[in-house]
Amino acid sequence: MNTSKQNQFADAALSEAEETLRLIARISAPEGLEERVQAGLRKAKSMASTRARILHWPVALQVDNAWMQNLARTAAAAAIVAVVVGGGWRVSSRFQPAQPSSAVVLPPHSAVQGGFSSAGAMRTPQTLNGPVIAPPAPAAKPQAAAIVKPTSKAPLHRRKPVSAKNPVAPAPR
Amino acid sequence: MEDEARQRAEEAAVADLVTQYAGTLYRVAYSVLRNAADAEDAVQEAYMRVLRHRDTLHEVRDQRVWLIRIVWNVVLDRKRRMKTRPETDDIAELARVLPAGGLSAEQRASAAQHHAHVLSCVEQLPAKERQVLMLSAFEELSSAEIATVLGTSESSIRSRLFRARNLMAGLLNHPRSLR
Repeated sequence: MNTSKQNQFADAALSEAEETLRLIARISAPEGLEERVQAGLRKAKSMASTRARILHWPVALQVDNAWMQNLARTAAAAAIVAVVVGGGWRVSSRFQPAQPSSAVVLPPHSAVQGGFSSAGAMRTPQTLNGPVIAPPAPAAKPQAAAIVKPTSKAPLHRRKPVSAKNPVAPAPR
Repeated sequence: MEDEARQRAEEAAVADLVTQYAGTLYRVAYSVLRNAADAEDAVQEAYMRVLRHRDTLHEVRDQRVWLIRIVWNVVLDRKRRMKTRPETDDIAELARVLPAGGLSAEQRASAAQHHAHVLSCVEQLPAKERQVLMLSAFEELSSAEIATVLGTSESSIRSRLFRARNLMAGLLNHPRSLR
């Protein structure tokens, strides 16, 4: 019962709201709207026609053939482009832009009167100790003791020398 | 010579469109902008766009719907750019514009306030639902034409309208419930 009443109320409110929208949709246009729009369009049209106007050839230079006329127009446009580009190149080649200075120039430091002075003290920046380079060591002389003499001791796997008398004879077992 | 004749014909066609549909376009513009001067500017801008594309006029099937679509886009652009007006301005404008025959000054003011409340509820709807609801108030627009104006299908228009009505009923019972 309660919900149906609520629904009825909602429907009534909704239809009232739609009536509001319909009222707005039926509002009559102000007087003279069409004339004003027409006048605005005429004004815009005349402005557009004065703004965009193609330059026509003088009568003496007019060519009958449309193709020739197009060609002449293209040639004229190309000549204008060439003149503009050439002029720009000439100017840019004559005047080289100044190189920007690499060092930043700081304004001279002026002591403020009445302030603390440095009393002529100069700040020396603390520097790190550089690497110590040792003098090159003198080349050592080869000493006699250092020369390794060939040892008399034979290596373990050394074969016994073959006797001089019978070099072909096999070694005794 | 031919060009001039063609140009004149196109201009005459645009002038015809102004005579026929300026009022309709104004009402569409007013329903969104709710300000007479802004609506008139929007109509003017819409016809300027038509003038710019006058050479394609013959390709348009339904000129009325085409024009409504143009003014609709113009109006939405403007609305986006505009700052929101205070509600009191809306009430004053509605009291001035809406018909109130046989009502006392007090009744008129209360009616205007009611309309402003309804419109504030409409403003709270999601954009798609709001647009459909507003366009549906125009008796001369069928749901197929609304679909053309909004660039969507007719079935989508019907479902959006259903949703818009439900939301609107909720808002009118419990204002600000969507926020």
